[in-house]
Amino acid sequence: MHEKSLVQSLLKQVEAIMREHHAVSVQAVTVEIGPLSGVESLLVEDAFSELLLNSQIGRPSLNIQAVDLTIRCRDCEQASSSPGLTLKCQLCGSNKVQITHGDEFRLMDVSLQIPAESENSVT
Amino acid sequence: MNTVDTVSKTVVINRDVLSEKKRRAAELRQQFTERGILVVNLVSSPGSGKTSLLEATAKCWQGQHKMAVLVGDLATERDAERLRPLVPVEQLTTGGACHLELSLVEKGLAKLPLDDVEFLFIENIGNLVCPASHDLAEHLRVSVLSTTEGDDKPGKYPKMYRTSDALVITKTDLLPYVPFSTEDAIADARTIQPELSAFELCSLTGDGVSQWCDFLVQARRRTVCIPAA
Repeated sequence: MHEKSLVQSLLKQVEAIMREHHAVSVQAVTVEIGPLSGVESLLVEDAFSELLLNSQIGRPSLNIQAVDLTIRCRDCEQASSSPGLTLKCQLCGSNKVQITHGDEFRLMDVSLQIPAESENSVT
Repeated sequence: MNTVDTVSKTVVINRDVLSEKKRRAAELRQQFTERGILVVNLVSSPGSGKTSLLEATAKCWQGQHKMAVLVGDLATERDAERLRPLVPVEQLTTGGACHLELSLVEKGLAKLPLDDVEFLFIENIGNLVCPASHDLAEHLRVSVLSTTEGDDKPGKYPKMYRTSDALVITKTDLLPYVPFSTEDAIADARTIQPELSAFELCSLTGDGVSQWCDFLVQARRRTVCIPAA
């Protein structure tokens, strides 16, 4: 279960963003998880809830956005969506493909509560 | 009680959660490249024969090439004890964690003598899922698959095989007794990673070990800066 260590990295980033913007709390964290990321959403949710207890960021909600698997073929150079987890070009059948989306675990955005007076001081 | 007027603000980040760890890994890899050390991360399920492969590699290279090993285990120093008579080795005990992380590798490196070392092997925790997500500053990731496992395993663990550079099939001496096709296993892996190099060997008898060792020597020549003699 490596989601715990991944969520620790996520929370460190969120804490740094919170400090950078002098926020008093974090309301929501949005992440993107691809089907080939090797990261299980349910386990991320569990780890997030557990690790928040030792974190300085308050009790934000976690929004998980699923990403479709998309590939680019190195033979026919076309992009296509891939049903299921098949790494095969849907147009020419080649398996020489590059994943363009679907293996990511990305921090997309963070909703902060910041003092009104500092809103204009942080760009 | 003081209250502060607050406003909501959404900050767009769009960044890989592991970006900082990947940056540190890339820096460390560059240091290894400049020192002439090829770093090989061995990944597999438990019991595939990673330690035996390292013993066989050390014996094949005795007096020719210098290697060192970082051994990851949940508990015990058993694998490190097996390798210690042959090569410099440092044990990384995770205390239950299912994969190695760069911080553990860095801790082990601080204790491992690397003078004149040409090859550094990282024997990862036996697990085909979690280690796939962690860059340990390796130049090569090598999946080890034994003939006592299913030959359909690569397709079941796509991320591990997709992120590997080579596949080593071990325990080939057992092929007459097990329902395992090396051709099927390699073909399955290459549907995920078409450029995967593949080797079949038996660490106990030594069959096929020299081809694996030659591959590593060539990979080192191609990949790192070889110091002038």
